[in-house]
Amino acid sequence: MLTAAEQKKPTLWQRARHLFAVARHEPANLIGLVLAIFFAYLILAPVLSILVDSFIVQSGDEARTHQDEGSFTLYYIVRTLYSRISEILLWQPLYNTLAIAAGTVVFSMSIGVVLAWLVNRTNMAGRAWFATALIVPFMLPTWTFALAWTTIFKNRTVGGQPGWLESLGITTSNSVAYGYFPIVFILVLHYTPLVILIVGNALRRLDTQMEDSARVLGAPSRTIAFSIVLPLIRPALMSAALLIFADCIGEFAVPYILGLPVRYDTLATGLYRALDTRQNGVAAVIAAVIMIIGVITLLIDVRMMKEARRFVTVGGKGNMDRLRKLGRMRLPASGFVGAFVLIGVVLPLLTLFLSTIMILPGRFTLENFTFDYWIGSNLDTVALSKGILLTPEFWQAAWNTIVIVGSSSMISGVLGLLVGYAVLRCSFKGVGSFLRQITFLPYLVPGIAFAAAFLSLFAVARGPIPALYGTPFILIIALVAEKMPFASRSGIAAMTQLGKEPEEAARIAGANWFSRMGKIVIPIQAGPLATGILLPFISGIKGVSLFIILAIPSTDVLTTYSLRLLDYNYDQAANAVVLMIALIAWLGTVLIQKISGTGLAQGLEN
Amino acid sequence: MPTITLTNLTKCYDGNTEPSVNQVSLTVEDGEFMCLLGPSGCGKTTILRMIAGIEHSTSGEIAVDNLVVDSVHQSCFIPPEQRRIGLVFQNYALWPHMTVERNVDFGLRLQKVPAQERKERCLDVMGKLRILEYADRYPSQLSGGQQQRVALARMLAVNPGVLLLDEPLSNLDATLRLEMRAELRRLHQTFGTTIIFVSHDQWEAMTLANTIAVMNKGQLQQIGTPDEIYAEPSNRFVAEFIGNPKINLIKLKESNDKPINVASHILARQSQAESRLAEVCAIRPEEIILTDNATSHTLPMTIENIMPTGGSWVIELSFGEDRLFHSTQSRPKWREGDQINANLPTPSLHFFDHDGNRLALTDNDKELDNLLLSSALPSHKYANQKHTNQPYAKQA
Ligand SMILES: Nc1ncnc2c1ncn2[C@@H]1O[C@H](COP(=O)(O)OP(=O)(O)OP(=O)(O)O)[C@@H](O)[C@H]1O
Ligand SMILES: [Mg+2]
Repeated sequence: MLTAAEQKKPTLWQRARHLFAVARHEPANLIGLVLAIFFAYLILAPVLSILVDSFIVQSGDEARTHQDEGSFTLYYIVRTLYSRISEILLWQPLYNTLAIAAGTVVFSMSIGVVLAWLVNRTNMAGRAWFATALIVPFMLPTWTFALAWTTIFKNRTVGGQPGWLESLGITTSNSVAYGYFPIVFILVLHYTPLVILIVGNALRRLDTQMEDSARVLGAPSRTIAFSIVLPLIRPALMSAALLIFADCIGEFAVPYILGLPVRYDTLATGLYRALDTRQNGVAAVIAAVIMIIGVITLLIDVRMMKEARRFVTVGGKGNMDRLRKLGRMRLPASGFVGAFVLIGVVLPLLTLFLSTIMILPGRFTLENFTFDYWIGSNLDTVALSKGILLTPEFWQAAWNTIVIVGSSSMISGVLGLLVGYAVLRCSFKGVGSFLRQITFLPYLVPGIAFAAAFLSLFAVARGPIPALYGTPFILIIALVAEKMPFASRSGIAAMTQLGKEPEEAARIAGANWFSRMGKIVIPIQAGPLATGILLPFISGIKGVSLFIILAIPSTDVLTTYSLRLLDYNYDQAANAVVLMIALIAWLGTVLIQKISGTGLAQGLEN
Repeated sequence: MPTITLTNLTKCYDGNTEPSVNQVSLTVEDGEFMCLLGPSGCGKTTILRMIAGIEHSTSGEIAVDNLVVDSVHQSCFIPPEQRRIGLVFQNYALWPHMTVERNVDFGLRLQKVPAQERKERCLDVMGKLRILEYADRYPSQLSGGQQQRVALARMLAVNPGVLLLDEPLSNLDATLRLEMRAELRRLHQTFGTTIIFVSHDQWEAMTLANTIAVMNKGQLQQIGTPDEIYAEPSNRFVAEFIGNPKINLIKLKESNDKPINVASHILARQSQAESRLAEVCAIRPEEIILTDNATSHTLPMTIENIMPTGGSWVIELSFGEDRLFHSTQSRPKWREGDQINANLPTPSLHFFDHDGNRLALTDNDKELDNLLLSSALPSHKYANQKHTNQPYAKQA
């Protein structure tokens, strides 16, 4: 046997067989393959069906295109991109969307980094409390803010109940009440906590020894911040920026509430309108444009990941918390953070709450206040004779929300961790990058379009899969698919952080794959796993677009329920439901933190 | 107990152009205590990881106890969890979510060792490694040296037939290091474990190992007992790498233009063959003999510097532009600036050719040289000297 090895270099065939022999003992390969197939069906199929739709004559369009339904056409492309109405259909919404996304990224990153640093690395007064409070805006649906905003600033441009300022005699201009400014303002409020979470995590994991060694070399704080800390957390910064950018591109609810009254369209609302007016072909083209923006984001992401991989630091070791003394700035710093909490949490929630106990908006007199919309009975409104807390439909919707969103976030959290595991361990590079990219794909597809595609794909029985429309399952799998970008990202990040060594050490000790997962990987990853479940849960509970299309009354969830109330002009009851959504999201956060013993504000308290 | 055989083992990491381990062949006999010695980045860790099975080879073969565990030619690979080889990682790789005790007994739990026995073995090994008092702490609450001992304890508790240690003592203070070294030796003797041990520290390698394998840039340079490696370095790299203070190197080929220097002094006494082929001559500092009296075989030199190094002294000598270092364990009777005479005994000289390989003296050459020398200094005399000056006492 020595001679064989000594004689000649191995042939290509021998090498391939050897690699296979090695790969056979790495379960990540099998997991990777299974996941790849699974996601190809769950994510790729709907996306492809949208793209194909933009080149196929849709039913009802035979006369306009002079072609048969289902045949190939460039009609929709031409109409959306080059026709006289393309400015309205595509270009203006595109400009608006990019402006909103860019504005949101710039402002939320600048504010978020400062806040993350204050909360994680300084002795600012009340940081433990702020660590939790700062996250709250992210747990609230974006349209909570939009509703609170209209409650205050709504002017005569639209009908219905007037805004508070209006009823107090102050007329707000359209540019304050609607359009670019409030949309960006609200999105910044909403996404800053995400920056705090991601950057804060990176800051906390940063080995203080790296800073210390720079300090020992005599580097001033400014140099340390810009040449050590910043480059090290740059992957986290970039990933936060990309997440927010992509999220803003697909944002639907806020521009729907604040943009539509002044005809300020974004791509997502434009898409919704196209779908609503049965222009499926045009909708597909708009969706494709959104996806192209997303693909560009994805390409940047891929490059970035390559760069980030080069300086992965060995994880698994504890590091000590070292806090910067703020001195005289301690209280002003808290004031700054407090102001954010006031604007981002207290004011909107208070506004909404007040609006639910006021019969007429903006009239602050005692007899105008009532708790009837919460717990009253025998009300004289037509469809809602009791306060929402006494209405069975409300409780049914709440239960549905918890079951559907809860189980889908569990599934996506676990899948995310498995994706992270497969991406980093898989011997075949292709499978790894395919998984990374395909799980990111839902980000490129606006929720509305995704939901529409899901509907057309899973409404009827296909192969082994029965018709799912009308069951909670279609919502669950759609949610899983939609939340995979979050889940897989946090899974990949967690596994990168973990490194290979703890598992290698377990292999040396003789542990098979199940022991390794059960005793080493998952326990170490309990915190990230909780985050990977928690984030989809919070964002799923407040999702609008998927539910608008996929839910039916028997699978009514809280968001669709509140939108329906809004449609009936029961603003008070609708806002009350929105508040309950916020409450459930917050309770869910607390619960998961309790169960896993870790979570969002992890490590800050001690 | 197992024998480990590496045959033409090569590893080239994905994306690297140069192999990290290049055509290494060696056999670690059953019960041997071998040390892999070499500068940073020469591939020591990579070899251990391949033997353990965490990394796979690019070509060549690894056999443990005549069972091929990794071979490209035979398309065979046995995963680490089935190899039953212990590996202590260079950066410990402790499990951060387990206490020290759980870290140590993890392997025993996997082997379904009964609780009572498990407890005993754990306590025993933790006691020996002086980490009993930290049993309930988490790795992040330990110092580097303590973590290192936990990593060691984790492997020792399982008591595998083959133990691979990647710089297991690098983070310990001198006293602890001595204790742990003794512990490792004892373990090796009691259980007859086959041990491969990686070290930067040649002193550690010399005192612990039966066999030393010196590596450089992924290639095996020399393999032999500590004495062989020290006394007969097979090439210039080994000669320079082993020994402290470093061996004296005298370039022979550049000497033509200078009228009289150390090189010409040496060359004057060498056989034809050597003076033609040798590029570099080397002599260990302790083998230079200093005397007050000049003979035909000595060079007059100036003492530039006397550096005490705790129980021994390093003396810097100069002859023109040449500098030589001498080391001795007896207190030097000279002062800096004194003129003395240095003898560079021929049997202590190592010659290396153009490629850095050792020039072997043929018996004929030796006889000739001895004949020439015998008139001046009897060779047995500096043989004695050599023995007492040897800094690394031979291990029993
Ligand atoms: N995962 C890897 N990918 C690419 N190159 C690697 C990898 N691991 C090691 N190398 C390279 O292989 C060479 C040998 O590395 P190895 O870790 O075996 O060195 P070593 O002898 O253990 O060094 P040290 O004494 O510093 O621990 C180095 O040049 C290193 O850069
Ligand atoms: Mg090493």
